Amino acid sequence: MKSKSLSVLAVASAAGLFLAGCASTEAETTTPAATETTTTTTTEAAGSLLDSVIAAGSVRCGTRDALPGFAVLNDAGEHVGFDSDFCRVIAAAVLGDATAVEMIDLETADRFTALQSGAIDVLVRNTTWTATRDGSEGANFLQPTFYDGQGMMVTSDSGYMKISEMDGAIICVAKGTTTEGNAALESSRLGLDWEIRSFDETDLILEAFLAGQCDGWSSDVSQLTGLRSAYPDGSESLMILPEVFSKEPLAPAVLDGDTAWAQAVNWAILATIQAEEFGITSANVDSIRDTTEDVGILRFLGADVPGSDGAAVLDPNLSLPTDFAYQVVKQVGNYGEIFARHLTPLGLDRGLNSLWNDGGILYAPPYR
Amino acid sequence: MITWIRRNLFRSITDSILTVVSASILGFVVLQVFQFVFITGRWEIIQVNLKILLVGRFPEDMMFLVGFSILATCFSIASLASGVSRTVETTPRLAGRLWELFQRFGLIIATSAFLIVLAGDLDAILFGAYVLLAILGGRLFGRARRNASLRKLPGWLWVTINATLPLVLIFLTMGQAALEEWGGFLINFYLAVVSIALSFPLGVLLALGRRSTLPLLRWLCTAYIELLRGAPLFVLLLLAGVALEFFIPASIAPDAIFRAVTVFTLFTAAYLAEVIRGGLQSIPKGQAEAGKALGLSTFKITFLITLPQALRNVIPAQIGQFISLFKDTTLAGVALSVFDLLNVGTAITKQDDYLGQGLIYESLAFVGLLFWVGSYVMSRESQRIEKKLGVGIR
Amino acid sequence: MSPQLSTPSKAPFFRDIRTLKWVLQLLALFAVFALLYWLYGNYQENVAKSSIQTDLRFLDNPANFTIPGNDLDQSQPVRDAFVEGFLNTLRVAFIGVVLATILGTLIGIARLSKNFMVRTLGTVYVELVRNLPLLLLLTFMNLAVVLQAFPRIENAWLPLDLFVISNRGIAIPWFIGSPAQLAIGVVSAALIAFVVARVRIRQADKSGKQDRAWLFGIISFLVLVVLIWLLFGYGWELPYVDGRGTTGGLRLDPSFFALVASLVIYTSSHIAEIVRGSILAVSKGQGEAADAIALSGSQKMRLIILPQAFRIAMPALGNQYLNLIKNSSLGATISYFELTQIAQITVGNGSPAVPAFSLTLLVYLAISLVTSLVVNFFNRRLALVER
Repeated sequence: MKSKSLSVLAVASAAGLFLAGCASTEAETTTPAATETTTTTTTEAAGSLLDSVIAAGSVRCGTRDALPGFAVLNDAGEHVGFDSDFCRVIAAAVLGDATAVEMIDLETADRFTALQSGAIDVLVRNTTWTATRDGSEGANFLQPTFYDGQGMMVTSDSGYMKISEMDGAIICVAKGTTTEGNAALESSRLGLDWEIRSFDETDLILEAFLAGQCDGWSSDVSQLTGLRSAYPDGSESLMILPEVFSKEPLAPAVLDGDTAWAQAVNWAILATIQAEEFGITSANVDSIRDTTEDVGILRFLGADVPGSDGAAVLDPNLSLPTDFAYQVVKQVGNYGEIFARHLTPLGLDRGLNSLWNDGGILYAPPYR
Repeated sequence: MITWIRRNLFRSITDSILTVVSASILGFVVLQVFQFVFITGRWEIIQVNLKILLVGRFPEDMMFLVGFSILATCFSIASLASGVSRTVETTPRLAGRLWELFQRFGLIIATSAFLIVLAGDLDAILFGAYVLLAILGGRLFGRARRNASLRKLPGWLWVTINATLPLVLIFLTMGQAALEEWGGFLINFYLAVVSIALSFPLGVLLALGRRSTLPLLRWLCTAYIELLRGAPLFVLLLLAGVALEFFIPASIAPDAIFRAVTVFTLFTAAYLAEVIRGGLQSIPKGQAEAGKALGLSTFKITFLITLPQALRNVIPAQIGQFISLFKDTTLAGVALSVFDLLNVGTAITKQDDYLGQGLIYESLAFVGLLFWVGSYVMSRESQRIEKKLGVGIR
Repeated sequence: MSPQLSTPSKAPFFRDIRTLKWVLQLLALFAVFALLYWLYGNYQENVAKSSIQTDLRFLDNPANFTIPGNDLDQSQPVRDAFVEGFLNTLRVAFIGVVLATILGTLIGIARLSKNFMVRTLGTVYVELVRNLPLLLLLTFMNLAVVLQAFPRIENAWLPLDLFVISNRGIAIPWFIGSPAQLAIGVVSAALIAFVVARVRIRQADKSGKQDRAWLFGIISFLVLVVLIWLLFGYGWELPYVDGRGTTGGLRLDPSFFALVASLVIYTSSHIAEIVRGSILAVSKGQGEAADAIALSGSQKMRLIILPQAFRIAMPALGNQYLNLIKNSSLGATISYFELTQIAQITVGNGSPAVPAFSLTLLVYLAISLVTSLVVNFFNRRLALVER
């Protein structure tokens, strides 16, 4: 028996030393990532994810399978939703084929490790862009596709009209999301004594909520809207309280340290926003390309731009095909179409997600 | 009869009170269960989802392969069991034989019949008939070995043919469907069988290593065994779920089943090592000494004399470990989101048609029934083997 | 001619069994270390690619979540959350072990009863529970019992007007006052009662009467506890439904209840088997000798059989206790904030996965180690001193 305890002690101390040793050896490698990325830009063109995606012929997109409006499986087993469409946008831009995408369903707990380990190329899974995730998760967040906020959903007969009335309430959230921290912060800010219970998956929260174990369900307003539309007792029995108590910009993410891939994905997303600004839809893109005289639009769609020394096609050296924007709009649609297709039926307004010249904050840098 | 009642139930005042109390508890429970199963239970949810409960999202067009594998397994088990002849004196009469069969397999037969009734379609009944045919065929095939000509076949060859044939068939046929599509009861079974098979050699090596006279080796094996026995399986699965990819080259993308099998194998090997070590300790030293007297090398002594006896002695404990592992495969469902029986069971209550209707009782009852029958039958067989081997009886 | 005895020649260096043994050892060790080195290399490579931390600095980061049932602020470091999770695991472990032992022993004895009904009840319980997976029991307790069977807070059950049972938890009457003081008071009362019992035994030995020391012990314990209660002004608090929660008393988290209930039910079935086996293992002669000196049934059990059975059962019981402690990690699946739940949440919030879970594993190992040391200590104390 003594040898057993000794051996376990030895193992435990060895493990402790191992971890401590890691602490000292990692000191160098975890100093500012900034220096790391600048030194690797010159050499990474050789090993970028962009090349392997093109070689593989499909984009591995990390997503989920059961969030109404964002990503659900239809009867044919295909992913349908706002995030799913943006996966297709990336495929259309990089590979010219919106169907060249492999949807990989991930649990909330696995989403970043899947990205870190290279199991997926890009994460498009209603994930909030935060500083901590940028840094310690090794993720590189791109243009947000949806500016969301965290809200609270209660049953209509609970009598709650405002969050400030919910003193001493039991709030249910999902584990490992920003909602936990925000709810805790909000609770202490407003001086309400919330009991915050966190569950592995939305399913379990649904069970608890149905049974009356939770007074409120806190999550991103877009998620709550989607869940409310699929609620068994009908969406009238649920109410989303008006206050929004955090910023939740949902953005696709790629792995740190791969500028070529990051830029390619980023401009694919921006193309949808720019297309809506230009008024280009999947229906009229062909006619616009053939008939317009606007140089900006011609450049954007990768068409010949008549210039003083002959026609030329703009190639900003993003490692994307010159007509990527055309493919994106033609095969999937512009931002407005994607939004209207999946989120408007749920009852979500454009709100902040309108164009900058329309009262919102979607602003694509000029393509030139 | 009356004396029996008086002696066993109403010995004294306190005894009588106890009888009344426990009888009423038992009666109440039985009544509730009866009511639930036959009257108030809404079993439609099970009937509709029977397929995903049993085999997950196995592709429809390949379902016949599952049936094929089951038939092959029944055939070879039946033929293995019939190859051994019983002496005339111990062979009971037909009624006795039937009663014996009923005792041993009654539960499985009842459960299979129940499943067929639930499935409710002609295919299921036909399949049941096919299984009976396969068992009969296996028995005939096994009996054929008693024929003088085939008896010359060495025993190990017979066992190998009987064991590998269904395995090869299963591998070829079921291998058509990707592992991600397996689910339900099938994946619990698969995880348990694969893990115990893989962990067996590792467990033997660890047990031998722990008893080795070489200090470094012994230290290493002890450390491994104690480390894994002190760790909760759930936490190990969670760790594998997020960390396994860091330890293998980036070219291999581990999926959930791979992670589950890895953890279960490493974990079970540690427990098996302890069981086997117990077996090795129970072998009298004289056996090894006799081997040395014959001039056998340590290696030969271990693998030809000590180990076979040790393994035979601890068969019940090994079966116990298998049953434990079989029940623990449910953890893969929550830790790694493997689509196993329990996971499916809770998921079907959230389908659009059934959400919010409190059908969790029916679902968990069905899941519990399948697990319970599996474990109970295996533990009963293990007790039977224990009795036959005479282990533990002085 | 006498046969020439040839002196056995020493085997050359490379065939000497001793060198071979050492070579084999070193080769095995080398193989293992090579494997570990390869794994470690992969780990470093993959981690460097994604610039995530691999040390324990994450323990200083703010936790960003609160734990139901205590006042941890969400800006406190992760380390504090881990400590709280560890304490919760200990709570579950302690209560689980005590209740499981009591229930398991009762059922184990019931299975050996001469009363057919009692025996059947015990057998049904053990055979039913033993063959079910623990996760199934836990899921049942959580989804079926707590969420479905227990009422909503508006319709909470109020048995005896003392308890409040709903799917938000079980509220029990609790004392008002400092718990630490009361704990010290209770422990000292127990010690004093023990001393009283010992004194009574010595006294009774001299006079030869029945000592009934246990009666003295219990009465003195109760008297002392009441005295402490009144002296320090402790009060009693009954819970009642207040809006959407309960006020007063101690509220047991519903997940705590589900976890403890399923652990107790599961482990007690195993303990029942162990107790039954160990009682059967006490040699028949002991029971027969007890009958010969006309001990009553309960005296026989209490004085002769159980103590010996307990000695036999001790190692197996210790094993079950370890299993219970390790199985408490399943609380994470039903949102009970024990150690594994805390680890999962911090990892989801950005703590590096491998260090966080490795730390959790080490803590469980430490708990296992301490428990088996304690069990071994009692084992050695109780072990028969053989010739």
